Amino acid sequence: MSTATDKKEAPQSQAAAPARTLWGDAFARLRRNKLAVLGVIWIIFIVLVALTADLWAPQLLGSPTEMDTTQAAATSKLPPSLEHPFGTDALGRDVLVRVIYGARVSLTVGLLATAISTMIGLVMGALAAYYGGLWDTIVMRLADIFLAFPYTLFVVVMLAVMGQGIQNVFIAIGILGWPSIARVFRSTILSVKENDYVDAARALGASDVRIITRHIFPNSVASIVVYATMNIGGAILTEAALSFLGMGVTPPNPSWGIMIQDGQQYLATQPWLMLMPGLAILTTVLAFTLLGDGLRDALDVKMKDA
Amino acid sequence: MAKYIVRRVLQFIPVFLGVTIIMFLLQNVVPGDPIKLIAGDKAMSPEAELAIKADHGLVVTDENGKPVLDEKTGEPIPTPLIQQYFNYLNGLVHGDLGTSYKRNLPVTEILLQKYPYTVRLALVGIVIEAIIGIGAGIISAIKRYSFWDTLVTLSTSILVAMPAFWLGMLLQLFFGVLCKNWTNGAFYLPISFNANGEFQDWVYYILPAFTLASVSTAYTSRIMRSQLLEVMNADYIRTARAKGLSRKAVIWRHALKNALIPVVTYIGIDFGVMLSGAILTETVFNWPGVGNEIYLAISQRDWPIVMGGVTIIVIVVMIINLLVDISYAFLDPRIRLGASSNKN
Amino acid sequence: MSTNMNRRTFVQGSLAASVLATLAGCGKKQDAAQSTSGGAGTAASGAFRYYISSPDCIDPYNVNEDQGTQVTYNLFDSLTDFDYEAGKIIGKAAESWEPSDGGKKFTFHLVKGAKFHNGDPVNSEAFKRAWTRVVSPTYGKENAGVLDYHLGMVKGYADVLAGKTEDFVGLTCPDENTFVVELSMAYPDFPYVAAHPCLGPVPKAAVDDPKAFYKAPIGNGPFMMDGEWVDGQYINVKRFDDYYGTPASIGAIQFNIQKDVETAYREFQAGNYDKSEVPAPQTNEAISQYGQSTDGFTGTPGHQFLTGEEASVYYLNMTVTDETLKDPDVRRAISLAINRQAICDNLFQGLRKPADDILPPSIPGYEKGAWQYSHYDKEAAIKLLDAKYPADANGKRNLSIQLSFNPEGGHKEIMEMVQSDLEAVGFTVTSDTREWSAILDDYRKGNTQAGRLGWTADYPIADNFLYSLFKSDSGDNCSKYNNAEVDKALEAARSTIDDKERIAAMTAVSKMVGDDCPIAPIMYYSHREITSDKVASFNFDAGRHPHLDTAKMA
Repeated sequence: MSTATDKKEAPQSQAAAPARTLWGDAFARLRRNKLAVLGVIWIIFIVLVALTADLWAPQLLGSPTEMDTTQAAATSKLPPSLEHPFGTDALGRDVLVRVIYGARVSLTVGLLATAISTMIGLVMGALAAYYGGLWDTIVMRLADIFLAFPYTLFVVVMLAVMGQGIQNVFIAIGILGWPSIARVFRSTILSVKENDYVDAARALGASDVRIITRHIFPNSVASIVVYATMNIGGAILTEAALSFLGMGVTPPNPSWGIMIQDGQQYLATQPWLMLMPGLAILTTVLAFTLLGDGLRDALDVKMKDA
Repeated sequence: MAKYIVRRVLQFIPVFLGVTIIMFLLQNVVPGDPIKLIAGDKAMSPEAELAIKADHGLVVTDENGKPVLDEKTGEPIPTPLIQQYFNYLNGLVHGDLGTSYKRNLPVTEILLQKYPYTVRLALVGIVIEAIIGIGAGIISAIKRYSFWDTLVTLSTSILVAMPAFWLGMLLQLFFGVLCKNWTNGAFYLPISFNANGEFQDWVYYILPAFTLASVSTAYTSRIMRSQLLEVMNADYIRTARAKGLSRKAVIWRHALKNALIPVVTYIGIDFGVMLSGAILTETVFNWPGVGNEIYLAISQRDWPIVMGGVTIIVIVVMIINLLVDISYAFLDPRIRLGASSNKN
Repeated sequence: MSTNMNRRTFVQGSLAASVLATLAGCGKKQDAAQSTSGGAGTAASGAFRYYISSPDCIDPYNVNEDQGTQVTYNLFDSLTDFDYEAGKIIGKAAESWEPSDGGKKFTFHLVKGAKFHNGDPVNSEAFKRAWTRVVSPTYGKENAGVLDYHLGMVKGYADVLAGKTEDFVGLTCPDENTFVVELSMAYPDFPYVAAHPCLGPVPKAAVDDPKAFYKAPIGNGPFMMDGEWVDGQYINVKRFDDYYGTPASIGAIQFNIQKDVETAYREFQAGNYDKSEVPAPQTNEAISQYGQSTDGFTGTPGHQFLTGEEASVYYLNMTVTDETLKDPDVRRAISLAINRQAICDNLFQGLRKPADDILPPSIPGYEKGAWQYSHYDKEAAIKLLDAKYPADANGKRNLSIQLSFNPEGGHKEIMEMVQSDLEAVGFTVTSDTREWSAILDDYRKGNTQAGRLGWTADYPIADNFLYSLFKSDSGDNCSKYNNAEVDKALEAARSTIDDKERIAAMTAVSKMVGDDCPIAPIMYYSHREITSDKVASFNFDAGRHPHLDTAKMA
C-alpha cells in the first residue's frame, strides 16, 4: 500500500538495510517541510523549558504555587509588564512561571496517555487482525462500544471513578484512546498480512509473535508513529478540557486548563489570564499536528482525514 | 434495504447493552453516595435515607413500597445490581427513565426540557459547518496553492489545535467585551429574555454554534478540498474537459456532486455527535442543553439523569448514523450494502 | 434522637449562590413571559423578575437549599418568623404562643380566618398534616424527603419516621385555631424552629394529589402559584388577594431559573431582571455602577447592591483525632497563621469579613473576638510551634497537613491562600481535591485531615451552630471534637428557660470550644444581591429570605 511495504519484501535478515533507507528518506523529506521543522523546534523548546524550569524560572519569576498573602491584594491581577511578562493571577502569582510549569503537565499527559493508548491499541489491533474470527468480532465490538460513548462524558465519568490527579488523568485518557489506534493497526496488519513474505515466514515455521513483531510491526510502524504524534496533541487538548472542568491536577499546581478556568471569571477585566495559557495550548498542539502532518507526508502514510 | 436496516439495528443492540452496562457498573464504583447528597450538605436521618432508597428501587421493597428488612440482621436489603439493571431496561421499554434523585422529577421530563436547546444548537452548528466548511474547501481546491488555499489550510490547523472552550471564550471576549458597544452585548448573552422576535433569539446561537462546530468545520473543509482535488483528477472529469466543457462547468456540474458525497456523510455523522450535547461548549456558554445537564448530574451523582441522558444520546446517534448510511447507499450506488459501513 | 435535631446546613458553596445550587443549576428560562411554549407562562408583563438557580424542590416538605426556599418562603407562612432587623422572633401564621411545662410544651394560637390559596381554612389540622408530612416516609407525598430532623425533638417523632404510624402524637389540635406541640425534652428555642419554611401548613389537597402539589404547591403565604413550576425555566407566582396579612404590593413575580450567577448578572445588566446576584469579581464595578445599599439588606434606587452580612460562616475543619492535629497547639497555630483579611480583600473585595467567632454577628450570643485564636498573627503562630516543632534552616518543621476540598466555586483560590499561609509558618502542605459529592462523606466520617466547610443557620440561634458542630454525637460534627465538659454545658445551655441566661451560657460554651480550636473560622459570608432601579424597595434578610410581600416597584 505504501512505499514502506513496497520496499520491504526482503526477508528479515535484510530488514535493517531498507529500513535505514526508509527512515533516512523520510527524514530528508521531513527536513524540507518548513512547517514540520517549525513544529519540531517549538516542541524541543517547550520540552527544554519544562525540563529545566526548576533551575531558573522560580528565581526569575517567583514561585508558581505560593504567594505572600499579605501582599496579595497589591500584586494580584497586574497587567503584563517587564517584571511580569504575562501579568499576575488573582492571587498575585506570575502567570508566565505558571505557564512554564503547566507545560510539564501537558507534556506528561500528552506523552504518557498516548503511550498507554498506543500500547493497548496495538495489542487489541493485533489480536483482531492477526487472529481474526471471534477475536476480531470481540475486539471490534468493544471498540464500537467505546466509540459509541460521548467521549467527554466518558472521560468525566472515568475521572469521577478514579479521582483527580495527574496520573489518573493520563491513565483515563490513555485507556479511552485505544479504539482508533486499534482500528488503524488492524487495517494495516490486514493489508500487510496478505504479503508474500509473511506467508514465507510462516512457511519457514516462524511463531505468531515473531511474525507480528519482526514482520508486521516494522511495516506498520510508520502509520503508528504518525497516529501517535497526532494523538499527543489530542491528549493535551483533553487534559486541558478536564482541567478546565476542574478534574485535572491538584491545586496549587498549575496546568494550562486550570489557568484558563481561573481566568474565565476575569475575562472582561483581565483577559490575559486566560489568553496566555490558551496560546500555550494552541502552539503546542499545533506543533504536534504540524509534526504529525510532516511525518505523514514524509513516511507517505495514507490516512482517512477524519 | 429493509434487510440491511434490520441487520444494522440488530448490530446496534449489543453496542447499546455494552454502553449501558458499562455506565451502570461505573456509577456503582464512583465514590460519593448519591442518596446522602440529596440533602445537599446536611446529614440526614437513616430512616429518611432508607425511604429515599426505597423510592428509587435501590433496596428491596414489599408490594406497598416499604423496605423489606433482612430477617437476621434487621438491615435493609440492597437491590441486586442485575435486578436494578433489568428494572432500568424494563422502564426504558415503557418510556420511563426513572426519577431524578435530587429533584424528584421524571428524568424524561427533565431531559425533554433540555433537548430542544441542544438540537437547535446542533442545527445552527451544522449549517455553519456546511456553509463555511464546504465553501472554504471548494475555494482552496479550485485556487490550489493560492493565498486563499494557504489561509484555509492555516486556519483549519489552528482551529483543530485550539481547545474549543478557549475559542468560545475568545469569541465572548471579542464580541461581548471588546465590541460591546457595537454588539450591545447581544452575542454574549445565551438567549434573550425580552426577545420579541425569533431572530434576536437566534443571534445568540451563533457564537456557541460556531464554537461547537469549529473543529468539524475545519475537517469538513479539508475533506472537501482533498475530495474535490481527487475527483478533478478522475478520468471522467478529464474526459469532460477534453470534450471542451469549461473548467467551471465541469466543477459545478460534475466534480462537485461526486466530491460532496463523503463530505455530506461526514457532516451527517457529525450532526449525530453534536446531538450528544457538548459538555465544554455548553459549559462555556452556560447553554441549557443536555450536555450541561448530564455533566451536572455526574457531579451530583444523580445517576438516573446520567443513565437516561446517555441512553437517549446513544440511541439518537445510532439513528443518525443509520440514516447517514442509508442515504449514502442511495447517493452512491457503488457502495454495496454488505460492505463494512461502520462509522466512528 | 436528640442529635437528629441538630442538623444544619453546611454551606458548601462559597460565592454566594453556593456550589450545590450552581451544580443543581441547570437549565434556563426561555423568554417565558412571552413564550408560547409551556402554556403556563402567563406571568403578566411587568412581573417582578427574580433570578434563582435551579431549585431542588419548592414543596415545603423538602425545601433543603436556599434557591427553593426563596420561592417557598413567599408561598407559605410558618407559625413564626425571625425578624433580623429587630433581632427577635415574631408571630406570622400564629399571632401568639406560650411555652409551658418547663419549655417542653408550646401552644400556638393561629391567626383567625386565614385562608389557603384554594380557599381552605388554615387551621391547626393543616399544621399537623404538614408536619407529619415532613417526617413520615410515605404520608402525603410522592417521594421521601430529608427534613425530618427539624422535628426530631417532638414527641412521637421516631414512630412516625419509622413509618409505624401516621399519627404524630406530639402534635395536637384542641380547636381550629390552637396548635399544641409537645417536646420530648426542654427546648425553649422551639419557636425559632417553627419559623423554618419547611414547617408551613398544607391544605388537604397536598395529601390528596401530592404529584400536582409538588409542582404547584398551595400555601397560605402572600403569593400563590400561577401555573406549575417549569423545571429549568421559571416559576410564576401572583399576589394572593385573600391574604390574612397586608396584601403584597407587587402583583406578580417570575422566579426565573438561570444556570449560574454570571449569566444572571449579564441578564441583569441588560435590564432583564429586577433582582439578581453579582459574581465576586464584578463587585467593585457593581458598587460604582449601582450603589451600595445603605443597610446592606434593603435595595432602593441608587442603592441597589445589597452587601449585608449573612448568618453563615466559612471555616477550616480540622479532624482532632488526627495524629498531627490532635495537638491543640498545632490547631491554634493553624488558626493564627491564616491571613483572613487578605482572603476577604483579595477574593471578595472586602465584602466578606474575617471571622473571630464561630457565631456570626447577627446571631444572639456572638461576642467580638470570642475565639481568641481566630485572628491573623503569624508571629504568635510561629512562637506556638517553635516550642514543640523546631524549624530547620529552611523554616520547615516536621509537620505536614493535607487539605482536602472541592476546588469548584472559588474554594480553590481560598484554599491556595490558606496553603501559602500555612507553608509560611513551616507546615508542609499538600492538597487533595475531589468533587463535593465525593468528599462530603469523608468529612463526616473524619477521614480527612483538614478541609473547608461552611455553616448556614437553619434557625438564627447559637444552639444551631454550637450543638450541631461541636456536640460529640452530632452528625454534623466533622472535626470529631469530643469534649465531655462542652457536651454537658451545651445540654444545660439549650434547656435554660431564660433567654438572656441561655444566650450568655451559649457564649460561654463558644469560648470554651474556641480555646480548643477544633476548627478555624475564616470569614462570614455576605450578600451579593442586587435590585434594579425599577424596584423602590426590597428587603433580603441575613437569613437569605426575600421579603417580596413588602417589596415595592417604583
